[in-house]
Amino acid sequence: MSFLHIHNVHKRFGDTHVLKGIDIAIEKGDFLVLVGPSGCGKSTLLNMIAGLDAISEGELLLNGERINDLHPSRRDIAMVFQSYALYPSMTVAGNIGFGLEMRKVPKAKRREAIQRAAELLQIENLLNRKPAQLSGGQRQRVAMGRALVREPQLFLFDEPLSNLDAKLRVDMRTEIKQLHQRLGTTIVYVTHDQIEAMTLATRIAVMRGGELQQLGTPQSVYDDPNNLFVAGFMGSPSMNLVTARITRQDGALVARIASANNEVTLPIVRDRAALEAWCDRDVMLGLRPEAITDPASANREDGEIHEAELEVALVEPTGADLYVVTRLGGRSINARMRPGAPLSPGQSTRFAFDVSRMVAFDPETEARIRDETDATTQVTARPAALGQNV
Amino acid sequence: MSKPPSSRGFGERLQHWLPRLVLSPSFVLVLFFVYGFILWTTYISFSNSGMLPDYTWAGTRQWSRLWSSWTWGIALHNIWVFGLLYIVTCTALGLLLAILLDQRIRAEGTLRTIYLYPMALSFIVTGTAWQWFLNPGLGLERTMHSLGWESFSFNWLIDANMAIYTVVIAAVWQATGFIMAMFLAGLRGIDGEMIKAAQIDGAPAWKIYLRIIIPQLRPVFLSAIVVLAHLAIKSFDLIVAMTGGGPGNATAVPATFMYSYAFSRNEMGIASASAVFMLAVIAALIIPYLYSELRESRS
Ligand SMILES: Nc1ncnc2c1ncn2[C@@H]1O[C@H](COP(=O)(O)OP(=O)(O)OP(=O)(O)O)[C@@H](O)[C@H]1O
Ligand SMILES: [Mg+2]
Repeated sequence: MSFLHIHNVHKRFGDTHVLKGIDIAIEKGDFLVLVGPSGCGKSTLLNMIAGLDAISEGELLLNGERINDLHPSRRDIAMVFQSYALYPSMTVAGNIGFGLEMRKVPKAKRREAIQRAAELLQIENLLNRKPAQLSGGQRQRVAMGRALVREPQLFLFDEPLSNLDAKLRVDMRTEIKQLHQRLGTTIVYVTHDQIEAMTLATRIAVMRGGELQQLGTPQSVYDDPNNLFVAGFMGSPSMNLVTARITRQDGALVARIASANNEVTLPIVRDRAALEAWCDRDVMLGLRPEAITDPASANREDGEIHEAELEVALVEPTGADLYVVTRLGGRSINARMRPGAPLSPGQSTRFAFDVSRMVAFDPETEARIRDETDATTQVTARPAALGQNV
Repeated sequence: MSKPPSSRGFGERLQHWLPRLVLSPSFVLVLFFVYGFILWTTYISFSNSGMLPDYTWAGTRQWSRLWSSWTWGIALHNIWVFGLLYIVTCTALGLLLAILLDQRIRAEGTLRTIYLYPMALSFIVTGTAWQWFLNPGLGLERTMHSLGWESFSFNWLIDANMAIYTVVIAAVWQATGFIMAMFLAGLRGIDGEMIKAAQIDGAPAWKIYLRIIIPQLRPVFLSAIVVLAHLAIKSFDLIVAMTGGGPGNATAVPATFMYSYAFSRNEMGIASASAVFMLAVIAALIIPYLYSELRESRS
């Protein structure tokens, strides 16, 4: 029995079908991150878990108990909002203690709990201020304090960092991660930011248009996407996607990426059984930028490297890395190379493709072409992985 | 602003002067008819004026006559009773109606319009309508009698002790919708996430209003009270239309006092003194309010 089980949940606002049967199960202590483009229903799902929106269809189980019809205050959850939603007429201490006060916790105990939460978040010196006298980061901490102080079973965060500037956002991200590790709480967290999703989550749920696209560990969602949408949505810079023809060469299955002025043939090593059926047909190939490198920094131990000579179209240094853009199969392909590599546009150089990380998609349905065994290894990594739909 | 050099064309010079030209007549008129007459009235209140203006200086004679006048005492007492009841009832009812309308009920648009309509009527119409309605021989009481409720009696309008409350009822009826609209706008401005947070915190609806929403409406309360206070002090037409200040002097207020002393009792000096006093009270209310509002909007 999982700790939080969202079972075939639907949401309709009148005629609009916003959530179309979501299935997610997580364990105690998990950090579930919901990601997806704007309007895909992340906040709606979170509000339904909180009890702020009614569930149109389906079941919500917390700790084995059906909580569909329980009032928000009886669900033993706490929520941190994007706008922080602090009560402007109360002091910081009043804000943090309001939930306890409503639950008739005696004053002395309340003060103790407020003090403890404030220490944890390092806002003891702000307890007597009003929210208007706080900076954005401090307000964020107060909002977290208000959630922490009640020691609920489940925390819900709706884009809590999106109103902070870039530097503070990174700091708070680290802090939330530390808090999660220290307190071992269960968290459901909504974000737009897929770096936030990758760094914080123990489980990621990628959503689109009210449907769950994939649920899995950050690594599995990143390395083993279920479909083209997930592949393109996760990761920055995003995955290189290019059309290729699957053919047989000297008895082995290969992918041929051809365009007017060049051609690259890559051996197929992953999902080989499934791709047999695609022989002499076009597929969409996906390769992450870090799986295309210069030969010197290629990882030959774990990967399977195949080299090809290509022309450099553009060089983008970021300091830590050097992104090199080349043209392949009519598309721009981004490769991550060692910084300081002496490359300039127009020059030809050798690119090393790690074909063991290559994934293929059906260009029509956009679904992943994947071996049965490959899919099962992913599921056994975590038995609770439901909802592998699409 | 720099002086326009003569080398500029006619069009440019016109553009420079046109706004001043257009505004200056109204500026002169306001200067003369508003501020000029304020000064004139103030002077008259220190003069010997009776039926006609008389510019001989009389010191504070008119002022001491005003303050020893029995009717002025009644007028002040009435404005207190009227103003206090009017402001408190309007604010409380307006807030209550706004909260009820804020529950996302279906007919909200229609109801809001219905509540706002009275504000569109002039005070004279309101006063006359309520005078008919509360007149024992014409309105409510007579209707009840003709419906068979013979013992029904509601004669506050002609009862010297109660007449002032009928004015309060009519004035509240007129202004409540407007105050409700002010509160409704304030309620709509409150962050919905805050209410969700309070729900999760376990606060029942009445506590959410009491502890979280109403404290945030403080600026609306302030505006409502200032608007109502100056309406109360200016409440002249309503009383004239409804009771004419009577029965006797029972519903006299400073505005009707001033009017009757200036135009029927030929005591211009006392009337001016009472007018200046009213101006001073309104100014004491409005100026700090405007000052704080302007300072806020600037920062
Ligand atoms: N009260 C409502 N009535 C009708 N439609 C609604 C209502 N609330 C939300 N929606 C619709 O439901 C969809 C999902 O909204 P939701 O707020 O959950 O998106 P989201 O994934 O949180 O987006 P964002 O990332 O922009 O916050 C949207 O298309 C929205 O228009
Ligand atoms: Mg949202």
